[in-house]
Amino acid sequence: MTRVDVREKVLAANAAAAAELRRRFAAQGTLVVNLISSPGSGKTTLLEATVRGLAPRLRLGAIEGDIATERDAERLRRLGIPAHQILTGGACHLDARQVRDALAARDFGALDILFIENVGNLICPTSYDLGEDFKAVLLSVTEGEDKPFKYPAIFSRAAATVITKADLLPHVAFRLDEAREQVAALNPECRLLVLSATTGQGMAEWEQLLMESLDRKRSAAAR
Amino acid sequence: MHELSIATEVYETCRVRLRAHEPGRLDTVRLAVGERSAVEPDLLRYAWQAVTSGGPDDGSQLEIEWRPAHQVCAGCGEIPERATGTWLRLCPRCGHALHIEGGDELDILHFTFTPLAGRETSLP
Repeated sequence: MTRVDVREKVLAANAAAAAELRRRFAAQGTLVVNLISSPGSGKTTLLEATVRGLAPRLRLGAIEGDIATERDAERLRRLGIPAHQILTGGACHLDARQVRDALAARDFGALDILFIENVGNLICPTSYDLGEDFKAVLLSVTEGEDKPFKYPAIFSRAAATVITKADLLPHVAFRLDEAREQVAALNPECRLLVLSATTGQGMAEWEQLLMESLDRKRSAAAR
Repeated sequence: MHELSIATEVYETCRVRLRAHEPGRLDTVRLAVGERSAVEPDLLRYAWQAVTSGGPDDGSQLEIEWRPAHQVCAGCGEIPERATGTWLRLCPRCGHALHIEGGDELDILHFTFTPLAGRETSLP
């Protein structure tokens, strides 16, 4: 029996593709946000509200990951932004090569912010770097406040936790303080936002986070 | 369930490396899997069987070294005791906030193989 040392990341090929994307986004000055959550927590609805709030000032684009249907990309194109649908055909996550192919397939033009809406899943997308500036994890108040400790991989890595559907807080047993405490235990640096894309509550803080991140990226590039 | 994608990636990497050596059959592949890698060891072993089944490396074993994450106290520098899958909110000794280190490994460490040359074999 012969032994061969490998000492390589399992996802080395994905990491190389992600690094190439990151270089490209840096050269273009595009902020890239990887949105991760379970299905139905409101990723597309948050993006729709974000487009309504920011599209007059910023050039936005979106890559939508789903197992099936063009529905999400159509929802965003209806609001006038370029959006490309990746159909994973059963796979539970997006990888960097799919994002590269999506950029080749559609002319996004120059963008200020590119949103990558991952496949609805709190586990698998965590493993795949897409060349983003940061991951934002969404947690809707209808899902329950115990999710951070149950899914520590994503909640310990995301730069922002966005509690969505906050307008429903009076009607559900979601304990906001508990969610806040769990996120802080896993990830003391994580920004926590509480918002409702339906009523607009908290949207200004989300938009401000995006604008600040974009400014920081551009001024870092200028130095 | 992305363990099938991960197992496929591991298999292809090892096969490419093995081809650079000599004709052989994989015996064991050793991985480091972290507590925050979002990969489930049992599912990964099951996926490995599915990926290698019926091929030249059928019967090879995936060995997994589990790498826990550590919650470290910023105040006293201690790593408090913690069972896998449970998380402390604050340092039980001084009440300081904790931060997480490690546990994000998803690495191929090494593999072993049996050379086919000079050996009676029924492989094509």
